[in-house]
Amino acid sequence: MAAWVKGGATDAGAAVDAAATLLAAARTPVVAGLCAELSAIRAAYHLADAIGASVDPVAGASLYAELGSLSRTGAMLTTPAEAIGRADTLLIVGNAPWDRSIVQEIAESVPSRGRAAGTERSILSLGGPRNGATRHVAYPAETGGLAISVAHLRAFLKGHLAGEAAYADLAKRLAAAQYGVVLYDPSELGELGVEMLQGMVKDLNEVTRFFALAVSDPFQGRALLQLAAWTTGQAPRVGFGRHVPEHDPWRFDSARQIAAGEVDAALWLASLPAPRPDWLATLPSIAIVGEGSPEAAGDVADIVIAVGVPGESTGGALWNERRSTITYTPPAGQPAELNAAGVIAAIQDRLVQMKGASC
Amino acid sequence: MLIRISGGRVVDPTAGRDGVGDVWIENGRVVAASERVPDRTIDASGCVVMAGGVEVHSHIAGGNVVMSRLLLPDLYASEAAPDGHPFAHAGGSAAWIGANYARMGYTIAVEPAMPPANALATHLELADIPLLDRGALTVMGNDDHLLQLLREREGKAAVRDLVALSVATSRGLGVKCINAGGASAFKDGMLKLSLDDEIPVYGLSTRKIMTALLDAVEEIGVPHPLHVHANNLGIPGADDSFVATMEAAEGRRIHFAHAQFYAYAVADAENPATGGFRSAAERITEAMEKHPNATYDVGQVAFGQTVTISLDILRQFAGRKGANPKKWILTAGDAEGGGIVPFVYKPRGAVSSLQWAIGLELMLLSKEPERTILTTDHPNGGPFTDYPHIIHLLMDKEERDREIAGLHKVIGERSGLCAIEREYSFSEIAQLTRSGPAKLLGLSDRGHLREGARADVAIYRDDKNRTAMFARAKMVLKDGDVIVEDGEIVNWRAGRTLELTVESDKAMVARSETYLQDRFGAGVSSFAVPDEAFPKADVFEDVACRA
Repeated sequence: MAAWVKGGATDAGAAVDAAATLLAAARTPVVAGLCAELSAIRAAYHLADAIGASVDPVAGASLYAELGSLSRTGAMLTTPAEAIGRADTLLIVGNAPWDRSIVQEIAESVPSRGRAAGTERSILSLGGPRNGATRHVAYPAETGGLAISVAHLRAFLKGHLAGEAAYADLAKRLAAAQYGVVLYDPSELGELGVEMLQGMVKDLNEVTRFFALAVSDPFQGRALLQLAAWTTGQAPRVGFGRHVPEHDPWRFDSARQIAAGEVDAALWLASLPAPRPDWLATLPSIAIVGEGSPEAAGDVADIVIAVGVPGESTGGALWNERRSTITYTPPAGQPAELNAAGVIAAIQDRLVQMKGASC
Repeated sequence: MLIRISGGRVVDPTAGRDGVGDVWIENGRVVAASERVPDRTIDASGCVVMAGGVEVHSHIAGGNVVMSRLLLPDLYASEAAPDGHPFAHAGGSAAWIGANYARMGYTIAVEPAMPPANALATHLELADIPLLDRGALTVMGNDDHLLQLLREREGKAAVRDLVALSVATSRGLGVKCINAGGASAFKDGMLKLSLDDEIPVYGLSTRKIMTALLDAVEEIGVPHPLHVHANNLGIPGADDSFVATMEAAEGRRIHFAHAQFYAYAVADAENPATGGFRSAAERITEAMEKHPNATYDVGQVAFGQTVTISLDILRQFAGRKGANPKKWILTAGDAEGGGIVPFVYKPRGAVSSLQWAIGLELMLLSKEPERTILTTDHPNGGPFTDYPHIIHLLMDKEERDREIAGLHKVIGERSGLCAIEREYSFSEIAQLTRSGPAKLLGLSDRGHLREGARADVAIYRDDKNRTAMFARAKMVLKDGDVIVEDGEIVNWRAGRTLELTVESDKAMVARSETYLQDRFGAGVSSFAVPDEAFPKADVFEDVACRA
């Protein structure tokens, strides 16, 4: 176990005490990061409620590229296993999805279930690499970017645009699918692009079956999203300043809040690897980070507590991208002395004790 | 601690009890009247004392419930936080669900649609519902592995073993099928499916899948009968599907989900698709009387904005055109998936008014309320928080007439509700909401107040305004602990999630491992719901199979 207060090594109890003292003095704290096992994220929401903090996950940008569109128009979705097993047509939008293993898995197989079983699989790309290792038919993005490209493609599908353009050909291929899937990265495509893409998928379902499949963010955002929804009834970015979860993705964007001077303390939770924000060292802060990570060092925040890494030195419920659900991952090695949920709960308990003592 | 609930009108139809008396509790159980001085006496004079309410069909957890919150985040209001549970004031949250059920005197609620592929997330969410015991039904009937077994005619033993493994792995309390084969058919291009229509690729039908599951459930000894969401929900002529499905059970125990949505007879035989519907409540009631093996929950409609949630993606896709507001989600999942479609039941609308009337008509025609369970199919027909008002309407003809007067005249033209004089008694309400659903779930120590019963007790102030009476219990005890006083939560204790104790066949485990690895790149353990995944211990409680 490793913990630091103001750069000096200490024990967990002293670090927890210091963290509670720091949060007790804060008026507008933020709980950020939340790249962790679900039990730790749960504990973080409970702590945020107790101290009136706002919450903003590191996965926020990716999640909200989807969520804005989702709450405005909805979606038609499928899972990786269904895409691999059923899709006779795969459209990959942008560059980002090409790094994901699902592309290779689909490219190396043929549909095995459903009406397209045994047929040849068609892989198409829009605005992706032209000379990738995977054999596919590439359609370049238009100069306006991916979202504009998707809009034009949709217009060809709807018959609002006509002609011999490449997108007319792509539109025909999509409409001919028996079970089509479009793979994309929400953070690359952007909120308006996602909304246009979902509209296109819904249009396609007037004539065939076609579904969207977003690649997951690497920061446990999809697991966190579920917990946030069942815990607060809302998406993740909420503020508890008035002791009721108020959802506002702009207002509770932690980077914006801190740049605007709205925050006077921060708790950064990242028991799994996540990019450390620049602002962490600029205000009174606590970092609960994975042991052995680069962040497990005394100079990262005022108080740093190293905890078990889920899947390595502690177990945890985590997002499983291939399964597209939450699954449990046991520790692969010797369990760590501390886990993030326990540390956060201890901080909250200490805050309660301090509040009781002050009455 | 010995507790005496004293001087209340004790209503327990399972014991033929409806009169002023006492209920004694010790160590979380109802006990015989004692000569000893009680440690606590609860004065229930002027009150009605019943067993805790039992919910058999309410969508309270799972991936589709999560998506519904994200699609329609403003459906429920969040209020300023009182003391107590941190999130009970967050509208639509797990804690809000637990608190609102408890305030009404309910002590257990079952999520009826848990896909095995999403079992862990569903159980994590259920475990965050405070106060209540919970459970979930494992959904089967569209999964490729099961359909393969049936297509290859592998026999009843193989189906039984796969069902047992699925229930054990997902830690379900029972088994449900949702438009069996419908999701698979939808993915392969079909937009309508009836009982004997062929399901593409597999050469099966809903009848074949459902009867295989009926057999498996009986052979395993699942206490709750197969929970069936039939074909053709919500369309004129759905009553034909309902009755045909009932007959297809051929005497085996079967439970029908949200019968109201099937009690729609074609109104115009010459234009069945466009002529609308009329009530088929009488037909459904007659069919129920002929089939004592069947039960149903109602799926009563409540007016206002809601969001419909169903794994019947074929039906939800068709329903997208009626989305209000105009947005919807449909997921083609690993078996069913889910469809989320917002909807407004309009009090002055002909269709909504008729739906509302049919649900009440079903309950008021029923000669056996224990086989007629009160639900709104939350949130599909409306929120569960409308139960007190529905009970009021059942118990008070005058109140019913007042409400009908403000609704569309179609109620008088296409349903028999206006002519029904019946008013439910407290005993019948207890059958509808306590003893009936408890028996249906096979939970012999719930739903009644006989000696040995779990001390889940609801105490209501007797009030002619039944809405007020049942909305805020004077007191609720869970396992003998007082959790509600004067309609407010006073003890945020955690309940348990009930799971069926069922053995898995080793050969089927090995076979499923191969199948799952091939399809998901992960084996049976990836579908598991281990205790270690939960932030607190002792989440689950075993329920035995039938002998």
